[in-house]
Amino acid sequence: MCVGLSAKVLDIKDGTALVDASGARRQVSAELLEDLEPGDYVMVHAGIAIAKITEDDAAESAKLLEGVQNVVASGNH
Amino acid sequence: MLSPREIIEGYHGRPLRVMEVCGTHTHEIFRLGIRSLLPQSIELISGPGCPVCVTPTGYIDEAMFLAQECGVTICTFGDLIRVPGSEGSLATARATGAAIRPVYSPLDAVDLAAAEPERQFVFLAVGFETTVPAVCLALRKASSLGLRNFAILGANKTMPQAYLALKGSADAFLYPGHVHAILGTELCERLVHEGISGVLAGFTANELLTALAIIVLRSQEGKPFFENCYPRVVRPEGNLAAQKLIDEWMEPCDAEWRGLGRIPSSGLRLRPPFADFDARLKFHVPPITGRPNPACRCGDVLQGKLRPDQCPLFGKVCTPLHPVGACMVSNEGSCSAFFQYAQR
Amino acid sequence: MDETVTLAHGAGGRQTAELIQRVFHAHFANPNFTGDDAAVLPRPHANIAMTTDGFIVSPYRFPGGDIGKLSICGTVNDLACMGAKPLYLTCAFVIEEGFPLAELESIASSMERTASEAGVHLVAGDTKVAGRGQVDHLFITTTGIGEILPEAHTSGKFAQPGDAVIVTGDIGRHGCTILLARNDFGIEAEVASDCAPLWSAVHSLFLAGARPHVIRDATRGGVGTVLHEIASESGVGVELDASSVPVTPAVKGVCGMLGLEPLYLACEGTMVIIAPQEQAETILASLRNSPHTSTPAVIGHITAEHPKQVLLTTEIGAKTLLPPPTGELLPRIC
Repeated sequence: MCVGLSAKVLDIKDGTALVDASGARRQVSAELLEDLEPGDYVMVHAGIAIAKITEDDAAESAKLLEGVQNVVASGNH
Repeated sequence: MLSPREIIEGYHGRPLRVMEVCGTHTHEIFRLGIRSLLPQSIELISGPGCPVCVTPTGYIDEAMFLAQECGVTICTFGDLIRVPGSEGSLATARATGAAIRPVYSPLDAVDLAAAEPERQFVFLAVGFETTVPAVCLALRKASSLGLRNFAILGANKTMPQAYLALKGSADAFLYPGHVHAILGTELCERLVHEGISGVLAGFTANELLTALAIIVLRSQEGKPFFENCYPRVVRPEGNLAAQKLIDEWMEPCDAEWRGLGRIPSSGLRLRPPFADFDARLKFHVPPITGRPNPACRCGDVLQGKLRPDQCPLFGKVCTPLHPVGACMVSNEGSCSAFFQYAQR
Repeated sequence: MDETVTLAHGAGGRQTAELIQRVFHAHFANPNFTGDDAAVLPRPHANIAMTTDGFIVSPYRFPGGDIGKLSICGTVNDLACMGAKPLYLTCAFVIEEGFPLAELESIASSMERTASEAGVHLVAGDTKVAGRGQVDHLFITTTGIGEILPEAHTSGKFAQPGDAVIVTGDIGRHGCTILLARNDFGIEAEVASDCAPLWSAVHSLFLAGARPHVIRDATRGGVGTVLHEIASESGVGVELDASSVPVTPAVKGVCGMLGLEPLYLACEGTMVIIAPQEQAETILASLRNSPHTSTPAVIGHITAEHPKQVLLTTEIGAKTLLPPPTGELLPRIC
């Protein structure tokens, strides 16, 4: 339902962030996120930064799966 | 430690029906070829999470009325342009001279309106919780600029009631990551107590495979579960600023979902003080009930009762080039995705 | 005040003669350019290929080229796809009243530069002026004749199971450039059109001994559309390896923002070549030495299985079908 794109914040001014996704740049609204700084990564949807992003998807996925496998293996859930 | 693929490909337990609720999930699952990796025992069902697909025929008719009878410029996300109304689509209206403008963001529609104060602009506000904040920001901007030539045609929807309406359609949901980036995870935790299982998933290959693998693992425990598999984007509390903004501008209302019918409190409309921005009131849009093609089975497809290729129109009169039902129009639509990517 | 094209320029009188003299004679000077009703040309030695193409592009000037350069490349490349050395071109202009003369001269000079690089002569032309609003600035139609190399034998029908599928460079840049140049979506990226004449690149691979079965330029509809056409015309299957399709990061970024598929974005200086697997290395090597095809890649192969379909091996090694093109490229946001 919602195409999102992760992008890097290059600049912030008056609630608007200039973001970059592998060379494609656009001004997006940063009004819904607090304390955004250049260098942060955000998820962008329809011209709005909707979330600040931590970690990359591969590392996070690996960690999650390991956690669930350990728990399921020990029968602890 | 097994990889997500090994877990998925190696699953031969009792049949698992997983419903992806988000159209972008449907699209990515097809694009990545994930269906070809699934064992027979896992079935993926495409649910009603494409805003274009659940938008009733009458809504397109209303937009056509505004474009053709009221001479306003319609600003819209690209996907809606080819959706068939009762007669023709916005694309056919454009071919006969109506002003239809695809935009990337509702905020861009406000900029267009500010640049041409003598023209009236209407933004087609479809979409779920992810998109609603963008609509509200656009309204707030139009209001602060004092624009008198900007309004929205509202059809925004919310997911919580839909999850309950879909209870029983699947063993587990793949919850839409970006909707919950706004809403947070509390709702999903609560659904566990209603007996509804699911995991919140991101959109990359890693994220989708991991989410499916975790569904496989957790469903073996034999009790309802929830797991946030997208914490890098979805915080437990969601985006509070966005929630507040939505609440300031919009209030819940009953909404018509194409295929699912009327679901109480599953839509959003402008709060009364902002009625000036309501295109229906501003342009006196008459009540319009759309006339969808009676043979179209989009409704059953959306509820997972019918596979797209089981619809009598599928691939014959209804194709991506000549869509009859909304599910064939949007790239995210389950029929379109099925037609474009299905192996058979 | 800047001089502009007026309806009088198209009326056939003195002003028409002046316009032709000033813009076209000045820029298209070559021994074959005619002042008569038709150009009289020496007979070629071999079979000829002939093609025509109309060009409308908005905006008419964009990073990496303009409508003039495009109108030469398009026709030259169509000829090159048949293994034909481009010899002669004609061009017909339909110009909107009020179009600046200086712009017209600049477009004519860009055509001349491109034609001379491609080694082709503009031999005849026509100019019409249309009233304001009847044309979007200017439309150009070019028609070309080329002489087919005796060893060339290419057609969309000739793809064979086992053949390699090659692209002559990274894909989707022209389509992406035009999308950005229209500035409808507020996105900026450093992308320039790949618009280029490719006869010398095609010639070099024949000189190196390669005998491709199919050459097709991936213009409107992009590489994806061309592959669907070839699969259908040859009755074969195409298997693509998604990760080996060259796409620049900026094009990827723009496509990500708008939900578009690079395989469906137009190229104007990139071709699809289908040739026996054992010639692939020769073809890649000779393309790398040509100025506009320095980053070629093998992106897949032809198979006898699943005829008329294009199968994609995705980034996770799974198989999926490349969806057939669906017409107008509309950004997908929600």
